[in-house]
Amino acid sequence: MSKYIPTIGIEVHVELKTNTKIFSNSINGYGRMANSLTNVIDLGYPGTLPTLNEEVINLGIKAATVLNCKIRREMTFDRKNYFYPDNPKNFQITQNLTPIGYDGYVEIDDNGTKKKIYIEEMHIEEDTCKSTHRKDKTLLDFNRAGVPLIEIVTKPCISTPEEAKLYLEKLKELLFYTDVSDCKMEEGSMRADANISLRKNESDPFGTKVEIKNIGSISNVKLSLEKEMARQEKMLDNNESFKEQTRRFDSKLNDTVLMRVKETGNDYRYFPEPDIPTVIVTDEMIESVKKTIPMLPDERREKYLELGMSEINSKKLVQNRDLSDYINELLEEKIDFQQAANLLLGDISEYLNKTEKTIEETTLTKERFIDLVNNISNKTLSSKNLKDILSKVMEEESSIEEIIKSSNISNITDTDKIEKIVNEIIEANPESVSDYKNGHDRAIKYLMGQVMKETKGGVNPSIAMSILKDKLDN
Amino acid sequence: MKEKLTREEVLHVADLARIDVTEEEIEKYQVELKQLLNDIEKVNDVEGYDDDMMVAPWDDNTTLREDVPGEMLDPKKVVENAPKHTGNYIAVPVVITENESEGA
Amino acid sequence: MRYLDKSIEEINKLLKDKKIKPIDLVNEAFDSIEKNSDLNAYITLNKEEAIKRAKELEDKEVDNLLFGLPIAVKDNMVTEGLRTTAASAILKDFVPIYDATVVEKIKEANMIIVGKTNMDEFAMGSSSRTSYFGAPKNPWNNEKISGGSSGGSATTVASGDVPFALGSDTGGSIRQPSSYCGLVGMKPTYGTVSRWGLIAFASSLDQIGPMTKNVLNNALLLNVISGHDSKDLTSSKKEKEDYTRLIGKDISGMKVAVPNYFMSDIVSKEVKEKIEETLEILKKNKVQVDYVDMKYLDNAVNLYQIIAMGEASSNLARFDGIRYGSSIEDASSIYEMYTKTRAKYFGEEVKRRIMVGSYLLSGENAKIYYNKALSIRDDIKKEFDRLFSDYDFVIGPTTVTTAYNLDDPMDDPSKSFMDDVLVIPVNMAGLPGLNIPVGLSKEKMPIGMHIIGNRFEEAKMYQLAAFLEKEINFEGGK
Repeated sequence: MSKYIPTIGIEVHVELKTNTKIFSNSINGYGRMANSLTNVIDLGYPGTLPTLNEEVINLGIKAATVLNCKIRREMTFDRKNYFYPDNPKNFQITQNLTPIGYDGYVEIDDNGTKKKIYIEEMHIEEDTCKSTHRKDKTLLDFNRAGVPLIEIVTKPCISTPEEAKLYLEKLKELLFYTDVSDCKMEEGSMRADANISLRKNESDPFGTKVEIKNIGSISNVKLSLEKEMARQEKMLDNNESFKEQTRRFDSKLNDTVLMRVKETGNDYRYFPEPDIPTVIVTDEMIESVKKTIPMLPDERREKYLELGMSEINSKKLVQNRDLSDYINELLEEKIDFQQAANLLLGDISEYLNKTEKTIEETTLTKERFIDLVNNISNKTLSSKNLKDILSKVMEEESSIEEIIKSSNISNITDTDKIEKIVNEIIEANPESVSDYKNGHDRAIKYLMGQVMKETKGGVNPSIAMSILKDKLDN
Repeated sequence: MKEKLTREEVLHVADLARIDVTEEEIEKYQVELKQLLNDIEKVNDVEGYDDDMMVAPWDDNTTLREDVPGEMLDPKKVVENAPKHTGNYIAVPVVITENESEGA
Repeated sequence: MRYLDKSIEEINKLLKDKKIKPIDLVNEAFDSIEKNSDLNAYITLNKEEAIKRAKELEDKEVDNLLFGLPIAVKDNMVTEGLRTTAASAILKDFVPIYDATVVEKIKEANMIIVGKTNMDEFAMGSSSRTSYFGAPKNPWNNEKISGGSSGGSATTVASGDVPFALGSDTGGSIRQPSSYCGLVGMKPTYGTVSRWGLIAFASSLDQIGPMTKNVLNNALLLNVISGHDSKDLTSSKKEKEDYTRLIGKDISGMKVAVPNYFMSDIVSKEVKEKIEETLEILKKNKVQVDYVDMKYLDNAVNLYQIIAMGEASSNLARFDGIRYGSSIEDASSIYEMYTKTRAKYFGEEVKRRIMVGSYLLSGENAKIYYNKALSIRDDIKKEFDRLFSDYDFVIGPTTVTTAYNLDDPMDDPSKSFMDDVLVIPVNMAGLPGLNIPVGLSKEKMPIGMHIIGNRFEEAKMYQLAAFLEKEINFEGGK
């Protein structure tokens, strides 16, 4: 255990999944031709004024709800004034005084110990434009300018880098599942800053705060906090003092690097945005948003366990939202859910990855899926056979039974039938039987091959093998 | 009441406003800005008002816009008015380092 | 007699009867503008396009009273394809790529834009002398200012070039030049006219309004430009109304409050006497006139300084030489690009106001000054509410003196604010204010009365103004 207590706070920006930008009706899109998704508002043209996207408020309410925040019922916006080329008006419209959500929490599970990570506030604001830095100039693409963001700020209540990681995973899962954001850190639709200070005792004042900006992945948040803790510990041990500063994580160096030492504090000259009158959040708005919130990840995991899935399958299924949504429509069915989860996470996932399809894009309707699961549960279909017919199952409309029949692989699971065939093969191959009995293990493989040949591969191999062994050993 | 701002005060506001000032102008602004600020100082003598604030004489609360895309500009039009551009991008002098980006 | 000097109804009849065409009116307007070019009313003329438009209108039905009539637009309202400078070097070559809502509306009404009028740079000033393009002159006396910031609009209407102009009013910029030039000028209730496309000076105070020689024309133009606009969240959703509907109706029984501050020693003797004369006319016509006390009026200029300069420092931050507008060549860094561009292309008044505004919002100052200003602002509004619970109008002079000389010194930074001391409280409260000319000074310069109405009571204000117009028969009118 370290002799210092870390205090960690996390700020997350997520881009909201809307059709249009927050203050203009140009498209909110990613990866399009430079400056093709803008209008005069996004470019900060003289005379332009903001309008406010309804969906941004709805998603704000949704996020606030799932993060257990109180929702502000009367909001205004504020201007944050700073000059920067990526900031077209040289002020950013944000919520400084009346954030849409406040006093919330997210519950994490750290190896069986539950802990609430408290959220100070979450506010709505606009994104900046994208700058590309060349040697001799900086190029500006305003497609991102005005994309709606929410910034979620925790209280300084996170105690370990692991907790920080768990918090971010949980946050990402919640916002992704509620369609607030697609939370792609690699595309910048989710961005995290962490700040950390160390002190010796709980009763001491907080130590000097260091902020680590724009960390590219959740695992790097944990890693950078660990590195930063180690760096600060060493300095504190040596009685070295340091100033409040901003650092970044360099994944090549695998360490944090100084960006700038904090000066007297930025002077953002906040004042209320006069162009956007008070926004009222009504009961009706909150109620209609709440209706759109699907079953949340924690509840899903619990439900899956209840239905007999293994812990690992439950977890994995929730990690794949498409498949989780798919199975959620079958929760009332009487099927073997563990088998269903195996199927979805195994062969079906493999097929989907290979073909780059979503499950909804295949012909595997809920009814056919139920048939498939049942055919496996009652051993009509072996996993080998499933592999053979999978592409038909996923691409054709005919019933599972028909596919099994037409593929001529009526899987023989009837042990009497298998025994009969095995006996025939033993009788027809006395040499191989005696080879086996003399210790030549290869002989059993030959016999098994004969069984398969006889049944044209239609026998369940594990059942056949065990019957064959039984017969030879006795 | 002092009649001049200090040089530093003038330089600070000029920096906030991103306006370059010459030596001569600094001296001029030391006096002129101070005069305006002395006028403004009078609000501190006002009494009897309540705490309610009025940001603007708004008649209604905000009516939210439907999330439906509208017309956008041709990228060519975007760069047409810009003093400098490279292809579809608007160009500015190099911004010191990527790390400096304040972002949102 | 020129067609443009006839009444709006007469011109409309001539057009309807095909006795004249819109091009005749456009030609008259440009003849006059060219003859008066030394008045410097315009920054950019739109002659070619205006002629083209007039010819297009020949085939169209004369569908409203303002059809085919020439209009001048203040150069802080953006016009697609027509240079818009806000009288600043930083926009001296700026050609907008969209139309302001008011511009769309006057085009829809088939009015013809003759040009963009001169003004104080970014509407900051009270004499239009901060214009990068030089000051416009007062047609009543070419040595005098026409006021500001909508000085060019006042000049071109007063000189008879065009019957209509649009101005904008942040702290008196429609009413004060209207007073100096003997015009009817209305700053409507905040939210009546869309600000989409108005280059913002102070967003919570700015409002566009009509400037004309007579009351009827003014109300007709307000009919055209008012109405809800979903592009401006501060635009009122009130239903459209006919602002001419009360013109000519009896005014007896109306009640007028005259705040003592408006008739105090800050007002010149000559102006005060003319206003008193006018109040006597009202009394004779069974209007009750009471002198009243009203708090915070003497603080309005200071509040205005804080709020307008604070907002302006933010609104004008976008002029950075990156996306549009003038820019210095070969900046070595982005910082230099900002500071040198803004130093070179902003004028003195603008720079001063941006710097003071930045100071007022910085650090703790936002609390010390800005929030306090917003609190007192709310109390000014409450004071007006109190008066309007008993009275129909609040009245006083529009300006403390008549127009002063163009070569009066400009070295006092407080002066341009004090010129507007009587009109600024109206913007603070978002109320409508109207200037109606009531007579001339000994020097033969116009004196104006300031009628303040309750929110959205413009029609009633026109009713009173029309009555005075008829009674006084002001010689510059028609």
